[in-house]
Amino acid sequence: MKALLGSFRPGSKNSELSPLQFFGKHGISVAFVLCVVIFSLATDRFLSADNFFTVVMQASIIGTIALGVTFVVIGGNLDLSVGSLLSFATVLVVDLHDKVGPGTAIILMFVFTLLIGAVNGYLIGYLRLNSLIVTLGMLSAIQGITLVYSGGKNVDISDQENTWFAFFGREEFLGIPIPALIFIVLGIALQIVLLKSGFGRKIFAIGGNGTAALFSGLRRNRLVFSTYLLSAFTTGCAALILGSRVMGSQNNVGEGYELLVLAGVILGGTSLLGGSGSIIRTVIGVLILAMIQNGLLLLGYPYYTQWLVTWVVIIVAVWLDIAAKRGKLLSTY
Amino acid sequence: MNRIVDLIKKQPIWIFVLVCIVFFSVSSPYFFDLNNFSNILVQASTIGLIALGMTFVMINGNIDLSVGATVALAASLAVGLQSELGIIGAVAVGLMSGIMIGALNGIIAWKTGVDAFIVTLGAMIGVRGLVFIYTDEQSFYAYDLAYSDFGASEIFSIPVLALIFILLTIVAHLILKYTIHGRNVFAVGGNRVAAKEAGIRVGPHMLINFILVGFLAALSGILLSTQMGASTPNLGRNYELWTITAVVLGGTRLTGGFGSIIGTLGGVLAIAILRNGMNLLQVPSFYVLIILGSILIIVLFIDKRFAEQQGQGVGA
Amino acid sequence: MKVQISSIRTIRSFGKTSLIAGSLALGLSSMAQAETFRIGITQNNVGVDSYQTTYEQAFEEAAEAADNVDAVVLDAGGDVARQISQVRDLIQQQVDVIIIWPTDGQAVVPAVKRAKDAGIPVVVTNSNIAEAGQPLIASFSGPNNIQQGAYAAEMMCDQLGGKGDIVQITGQPGYTTAIERQKGFEDRLPEVCPDVTILDSQPGDWNREKAQRTMEGFLTRYDNIDGVYAADDNMGVGALNAAKSEDRADEIIFIGATNFAVGYEAMERGEYHGSVYQSPAEDARNALNIAIAVAKGEEVEKMSYFDTPKITRENMDEFEKPVF
Repeated sequence: MKALLGSFRPGSKNSELSPLQFFGKHGISVAFVLCVVIFSLATDRFLSADNFFTVVMQASIIGTIALGVTFVVIGGNLDLSVGSLLSFATVLVVDLHDKVGPGTAIILMFVFTLLIGAVNGYLIGYLRLNSLIVTLGMLSAIQGITLVYSGGKNVDISDQENTWFAFFGREEFLGIPIPALIFIVLGIALQIVLLKSGFGRKIFAIGGNGTAALFSGLRRNRLVFSTYLLSAFTTGCAALILGSRVMGSQNNVGEGYELLVLAGVILGGTSLLGGSGSIIRTVIGVLILAMIQNGLLLLGYPYYTQWLVTWVVIIVAVWLDIAAKRGKLLSTY
Repeated sequence: MNRIVDLIKKQPIWIFVLVCIVFFSVSSPYFFDLNNFSNILVQASTIGLIALGMTFVMINGNIDLSVGATVALAASLAVGLQSELGIIGAVAVGLMSGIMIGALNGIIAWKTGVDAFIVTLGAMIGVRGLVFIYTDEQSFYAYDLAYSDFGASEIFSIPVLALIFILLTIVAHLILKYTIHGRNVFAVGGNRVAAKEAGIRVGPHMLINFILVGFLAALSGILLSTQMGASTPNLGRNYELWTITAVVLGGTRLTGGFGSIIGTLGGVLAIAILRNGMNLLQVPSFYVLIILGSILIIVLFIDKRFAEQQGQGVGA
Repeated sequence: MKVQISSIRTIRSFGKTSLIAGSLALGLSSMAQAETFRIGITQNNVGVDSYQTTYEQAFEEAAEAADNVDAVVLDAGGDVARQISQVRDLIQQQVDVIIIWPTDGQAVVPAVKRAKDAGIPVVVTNSNIAEAGQPLIASFSGPNNIQQGAYAAEMMCDQLGGKGDIVQITGQPGYTTAIERQKGFEDRLPEVCPDVTILDSQPGDWNREKAQRTMEGFLTRYDNIDGVYAADDNMGVGALNAAKSEDRADEIIFIGATNFAVGYEAMERGEYHGSVYQSPAEDARNALNIAIAVAKGEEVEKMSYFDTPKITRENMDEFEKPVF
């Protein structure tokens, strides 16, 4: 597939943008605005502060995970294990809450979640196994581990009213729900890391054309390893939100999240070949998906119509993106 | 003897299949039994049929994530339309739906140049939406018992479903190994640009393979629905993941250019035998998940070592 | 007999390592075949919620306590195709009775037929199979879900005082229990309370987080919601969570079914108003007893319902808090 990329003609270097290039560069923002306008015109309930925060809230769990996964994908790999890992982390933190108290529970949850991230990172970074298959295997194994840990039972926090654990999913700061705040703050922080730090630049380099990254093997291994730690970390943060919101957890709570996360990342224009991508665009991608879901439900369509719209939106968005890069709407082979 | 050693080196998954057979035969008195073997073949046929098509697509360097949703679409149409079109007509529409989804994926991947992973990820979400719209979230039941009788029928005491699977496996093997299309599958997967320069029409070629996997996914869904005499809108969830797993276990590289139907058959049987054997041994379902996941990663690791020894390069 | 059961347990706990113990146990079992019933069960999706897990444990305990039962316990993981494979595997092992907890009411019918054709009687547990399969089964053992839906309608009516707008969160689409609870509720409601309107129904898939999101959607869409009926308490508590975060819980009546511990606790706090008490242990024991009776060739009732009474704030002292 890398060969394929090489066959694309680079876009013209004129500073004047053709319409195609404009859409390629700003397409995601245009789609975002388009979504807002269409839904606002269709239903007066859409454009309210309340509903806006509902959308951001509902996007915050998938979105927070997507922040970490964006690093993985820019590094040229995939992570399909995040859905199972979310279930694992949520069950763990909720179950431990009553046993050891919220503070220790959160620490232990992050320790074990990062440990699993490290296993992913070791297998893919150091042993250089294929990331799709490794994380597919981990998806199954982590689900099993979660079930063995909980014995297949739901876990619950008994005293829901008087625990500061409620902070992550149920409280507000200056009128902004904390889940939305976690998502936004983490997004800004990671965007800065990605663009301004040496670490961020190196992630771009290892994901870009392999030979261009003239790192010693060891450094490359370590960088890939660290992207998986990062996606495990953001998954842990999402588990805090989810666990606190529900104050309980089923063992399969994160089932299918891996693909929604990936859909958000892809919609944000991050290339699966690695080497390009942006946190802000991932955030917009996830928000578009959440808006489609929210808007269609407000309009009274059954929940599954959002899947059809998502299908069209993903393909059109990615198509425009790469069409702009090659300067032609249709592919040449 | 050398040939056998050679074969084993090329197809390490078959060693694993043999080990599994020996292990389960010793540990369960119900395992080593002709009836059980035909059970395993029927159980393997669902993922197996899809995996045949997936092998072509993956050697091409593509992937198809929409097969699970296609399974549900074809099964729902083939069962749901029976009252209006009769069994033959409904099955034909079901098979056609698979061909259409495959063609749509293929044309989008070809004309837009969007990576097949993304094209079919979109389709996986969207086609499931089509299924829910068509079925209105309901399961359908085949009122004509001839439909489910077919799923249970046997020829020479071998289940028809198993026979269909074996037959199509042989056909797929012959096509991949001995036809021009088969050779082109490897050429396109090995180096797309070189294949194009050599005069292969890469786009239409890939389109045919997407149609093939769409058709086989539909067939698999319909045959599955004959086993149930019914269809459910959630049918086929995660089948894409198990299919890809089986194909990769069978030695096909995700980067394309390398793979075989014999290997895929081994991968499919490995999963089916593991599941069947663990059922017979009553391994708790929670542990089954852990065992399957771990085995997948271990086989991938071993396969990579084999490949590196033979200088076939890194399959990353 | 105890020896045999405990060594099978050993295989289960060590997975595939204890080869010798395995063949030993199986040797013993064939010797003792005459007086022992082999009963195979394929469950729907253990681990998806606590009810099913508690059921499995209760079933295994009951099977162990009965000295004439050798149980083969399987789980379909919610996948219809896998459940059909498991029925095949159970037929292959020639068990005396198959208990099936259907993943789907329609789709397992031919598998049940296959078992019957092989001379193995089938007991359906917890959630019934479709009409077409009824002549094929020896018995259905479980709750009367239509009745439960009707109970919920009556409680909703009582609590609302006969008037109001409500929303419904249903179980997983296509699943018989979900269909029956919805039908029972929707049929009974206009009979007892013609002035209560159902504004909207959406599935919560038996999942608390999904139900919470569904309820958030309802709250945005409808300015006035007087009541919520959720097809189980797990989802009902999800709906309660959503309403609480919007500060609208006080104005809403919450009625569920299958009383979970979280629902029981919410009822104690006065936030949750009614549910249907259904014990997974009783469900499991009922199924096993019916299966043993069938294996012995005794007459059994075709519909063997166990009692699932209403539970509200007023009478909740009479019930123990559910363990799940």
